[in-house]
Amino acid sequence: MSTVAAAGVPRRPIGLGRLIVGRIGFLPALLVALVVGMSAVDHQFYGLINILNILRNASLLAIVACGQALVIVAGGFDLSVGAVVALASVVTAKTMAATAAAFPGNTALIVASGVTAGLGCGLVVGLINGFCVAKLKVSGFVVTLGTMSATAGAGLMITSGIPVYGMPDAFVKGFGRAQLLGLPTAIYAALAVIAVMMFVQRRTLFGRYVHAIGGNVDAAVVSGVSIQRHVVGTYVVSSVLAALTGILLTAQVGSGQASFGGDRMMLQSIAAAVIGGVSLRGGVGRVEIVAVSALFLTILGNALNLLHVDSRLQPVFLGIIMVAAVALDELSRRSKARV
Amino acid sequence: MDADTDPKPAEPLLALRGISKRFTGVRALDRVDLDVHAGELHVLFGENGAGKSTLINVVSGTFPPDEGTFHFGGEEIRHLTPQRARAIGISPVFQEFSLVPSLTVEENLFLGREVARGGVMHAREMRKRATALIDELGFDLNPSERVDDLSRAHQQMAEIAKALLGRVRLLILDEPTASLTERETGRLFELIARLKSQSVGLIYVSHRMREIRALADRVTVLRDGRHIRTLDAATSSDGELVELMTGRKIDLLFPTITHKPDNVMVDVENLTLADGSVRDVNFHARAGEITGIAGLVGCGKSELIRAIYGIEPIASGTVRIDGLPYEFPAPRRSLKHGIAYFPANRVAEGLALSRPIRENASMTVLDLPAFARFGVLRQAAERISIQGIMEQLQLRPPNIERTAGALSGGNRQKVMLGRALTRDLSVFLFDEPSVGIDVGAKLEVYEFMKRLVEAGAAVIVVSSELPEVLALSNRLYVMHHGRIAAELTGANKTEQNVLASFFKEHLVAEVA
Amino acid sequence: MSDLELSMTTEPTNREKSFPTDWLWRAVLPIALVALLLGFAAVDRSVLSPANLLNIAQQTSYLALFAMAQTVVILTRGFDLALGPAVSMVSVGTALAMAGATAAGHDQTTVLLAGLGAGFGLGIACGLFNGMVIALLGVNPFVATLGSYNIAIGVATTLSAGRPVQGVPKLFSQLFYGGSIFGFPATISITLAIGIVLHLTLGRTVFGRSLYIIGTNPRAAAVAGLPVKRILIATYVLCSTLAALGAIMMTARTGSGEPNLGGSLSLQAIAGAVVGGTSLAGGRGGVGTAVLGALFVTILSNGMNLTRIDGYIQMVVLGAIVIIGVLLDRLRQERRQ
Repeated sequence: MSTVAAAGVPRRPIGLGRLIVGRIGFLPALLVALVVGMSAVDHQFYGLINILNILRNASLLAIVACGQALVIVAGGFDLSVGAVVALASVVTAKTMAATAAAFPGNTALIVASGVTAGLGCGLVVGLINGFCVAKLKVSGFVVTLGTMSATAGAGLMITSGIPVYGMPDAFVKGFGRAQLLGLPTAIYAALAVIAVMMFVQRRTLFGRYVHAIGGNVDAAVVSGVSIQRHVVGTYVVSSVLAALTGILLTAQVGSGQASFGGDRMMLQSIAAAVIGGVSLRGGVGRVEIVAVSALFLTILGNALNLLHVDSRLQPVFLGIIMVAAVALDELSRRSKARV
Repeated sequence: MDADTDPKPAEPLLALRGISKRFTGVRALDRVDLDVHAGELHVLFGENGAGKSTLINVVSGTFPPDEGTFHFGGEEIRHLTPQRARAIGISPVFQEFSLVPSLTVEENLFLGREVARGGVMHAREMRKRATALIDELGFDLNPSERVDDLSRAHQQMAEIAKALLGRVRLLILDEPTASLTERETGRLFELIARLKSQSVGLIYVSHRMREIRALADRVTVLRDGRHIRTLDAATSSDGELVELMTGRKIDLLFPTITHKPDNVMVDVENLTLADGSVRDVNFHARAGEITGIAGLVGCGKSELIRAIYGIEPIASGTVRIDGLPYEFPAPRRSLKHGIAYFPANRVAEGLALSRPIRENASMTVLDLPAFARFGVLRQAAERISIQGIMEQLQLRPPNIERTAGALSGGNRQKVMLGRALTRDLSVFLFDEPSVGIDVGAKLEVYEFMKRLVEAGAAVIVVSSELPEVLALSNRLYVMHHGRIAAELTGANKTEQNVLASFFKEHLVAEVA
Repeated sequence: MSDLELSMTTEPTNREKSFPTDWLWRAVLPIALVALLLGFAAVDRSVLSPANLLNIAQQTSYLALFAMAQTVVILTRGFDLALGPAVSMVSVGTALAMAGATAAGHDQTTVLLAGLGAGFGLGIACGLFNGMVIALLGVNPFVATLGSYNIAIGVATTLSAGRPVQGVPKLFSQLFYGGSIFGFPATISITLAIGIVLHLTLGRTVFGRSLYIIGTNPRAAAVAGLPVKRILIATYVLCSTLAALGAIMMTARTGSGEPNLGGSLSLQAIAGAVVGGTSLAGGRGGVGTAVLGALFVTILSNGMNLTRIDGYIQMVVLGAIVIIGVLLDRLRQERRQ
């Protein structure tokens, strides 16, 4: 910012319509339109099984997307989330199998060890990402590109590509595939995560500082905010949430697979974040809208399936939507007065 | 304000001795001494690059000095961080704002020192305190507005409010009035008077004589990172201060220029820019004379010439070059039309610092057959041409293969000026041409403009330095809040009239 | 110091590099290369056999092309994540076109032209998409190419119905793989020729010069009248075209259109470019750095294959290489300031 070439005029008043759109965006309207449209076209859409399916998948995506959103708000990028989902899934399953062999029948220990190991993976990858980005000052995009490959490789190495079975019933039937009040457990998990993240974002110092760092890192430094600690924190949160998703998937499917998550989930998490109003410049974004966006994308995918659109074409849609969302954000940013 | 010339009996609030600071290859501060007493307003005076910003960064803990001692409130201070500085009462208001655009005013006020317990913030408490502070300061600021929705002046106010939150013992102001209106400046001065009466020490960085006269108790002059002298404000003259700052007598600064106004080369009618920074402007510049544009920071003068060149979007109005309409200006086409623009911020908009001087100088002529044929560069011709030009401009040392980043501010400006000699140009738009340049190089820039205008070019100079733009121009426009406030020539072209035209605008604005 | 401070200072802001240490930094990579070869050779002698060395040279040819493609956009502070899927897409498209033309009964030349036309056409289309989205819509290159990554995968799998496309004529494989030009295998000759042309383009043309300037300071380039948007679009088209050439060469080798040919190529190409010395900050790098980096990555994977290191471990190593490469780049940047 230059003191010699500044525009110093007061902003023109914003119209009410623009204000509303600015606050919520087009997303809810799009979502409603999509749901109404699909219900009219295909009655299978609002069948119970389909709805539960949608909600379950949306929940998993929402959890990963919340973590991704936090990283992007702080000015970074996490490409490794898909790989972490896979690794966590595999590690959880393997650990449970190993503990079951060592302490047969001790369900609590088996489950606990598996979940801890899974979340631990997330912690480790998050720390590596955070350390490289914060201390070594390397671009988040490239670091996570590297850890993505390494993590995926590790996952494949552990299983040689074969699914891992042998998890206790309590975990799979009693938790993963269970329903509470008619809704799968994954939804409750997602709601809990979203609630916590919203609280963190709005009401905690951590959330405030993450926004500050993403919005103007110099200002944050000068105000005495510890940049490194918070950047590492965002990558850890992202990876741990991805690990959580991997564990939930494992509980649901009943096996640990290195094919879970992957590139597809990573791309969806970024798309969800970006469509959900998270700016790639950093400093802007609300997790609740990202969650709605995750729901939107899931419904969209489901709709395309029901309409018998080739699943191989779906990435095409995803790519176009994502680019369009970012382009719109960019264009609207340009119309704001320069600071 | 004390006219007492005796040193204050109490120990100084802030005492710096022998402070030095190096950045790679640059000695920003060289054994500087400074002391500030409680209740004193101490001005730091010096040209750009003299070390003022570095010094206040050291005082506010942004980075540590390489050597020297730092005493505050009688205690020695070591390993200062921005947070600790604020905690002990040192509050800086920076020239480059330390605000986060996507957060609100109150969120910014409390950044780094939020009212929180166990990591959870108490929003209502902070809102209460923020509102109280803003009311006390008398600023018209809405605490829940996002900073990037505010005007620059309001952002400056937010910055000042931020510095005054909490206990302040030493307030540092770095060119605070740069984007404030007269009324806001008045409020700020009232505030300063109140702070002084509360025994707050103030460091005030400025090179505006009027402010120094109005506020300062003592003035410390810095030059090239060195402490030259500390004077008592009441007993020193303007001339003395400028002489100390520049190291040379003031009447040698401007060359005499013979203006021979000819046909109108640039004619702007009812120009309004898309972002509103220029509104309904009528302006013209003739060949053979220097047309100046003066005004406070943010008045739109830079935006005006940038719009003519094509790097600010135009909403309405017409631009005519040499009588012919020039629609949808763009840099490439402007150059082809013979219009060149020399940006104020050379680092951001002028030079590719890690590329050699030769490439930087020839950046604007890669479309000319003399420098490239069928897309292939004519490297030998380029080398010869640029070498010749740099020798003409007395680039020291004359090695055009060095990277532009290795050059001083004055030499960098010469590389930019070299672009004026590589192609046929008839209109020259200079945006703050002498910013960041030492006095010797400034004189060379003025001589260059003299040569251009005496050879028949139309030269437009935009400058926030009133003496400079008064001395150089034959005709002077004054801009204020995006509009032309006055057009002055001949005997009317005086500093009084320029300043009066600001005030006039304000009267109009207040009545309306 | 802030940017403003930097511009205001009257003193020069960076030190001229001292000659001997700069030379030492440049020598690091070639030395590491030789050390790597010798290291693997210690485990398995056949690494240094003439047959294997030729193999390395051929493998490097492919990766060097992709690294050159990636370098071109990285010079402008850009990125092409879609390179891998684009290669798959071109492979499938080329094979399909040639199979279709053969089935329609056309002569050899027409079949070849159909294949090349389809292949390069797809490449150029991909480059145009990337370039326009990035230059005209102002989308971040990471996200834009993440989008085209998706789109290209979708197109590749849809066109090929998920299976390899047969019907690549022998002449095609001969021209771009099996044959030799002046005694050199086709792959090496083609890459060599392209490398020379690209090097001259980067160093001696207005386009090449513009890339370096835009990568160093895009704003200054625009103010100086350079047609930045046009150049950026051309850059991405060039990148995708080079990638298309690489895809055609790889298709010639496999003899069929593979929907997964690109695989982890994006990552490998970036690793190659960055390890070789291309700076992600833009404005630094060239054909030399691309080739050196490609050589390094190829020797590494060749050595790992010969010493029977698990394919999955290789993925881990590749990931680590990327991080190390970027770290080195960062250290180099810091030294410069």
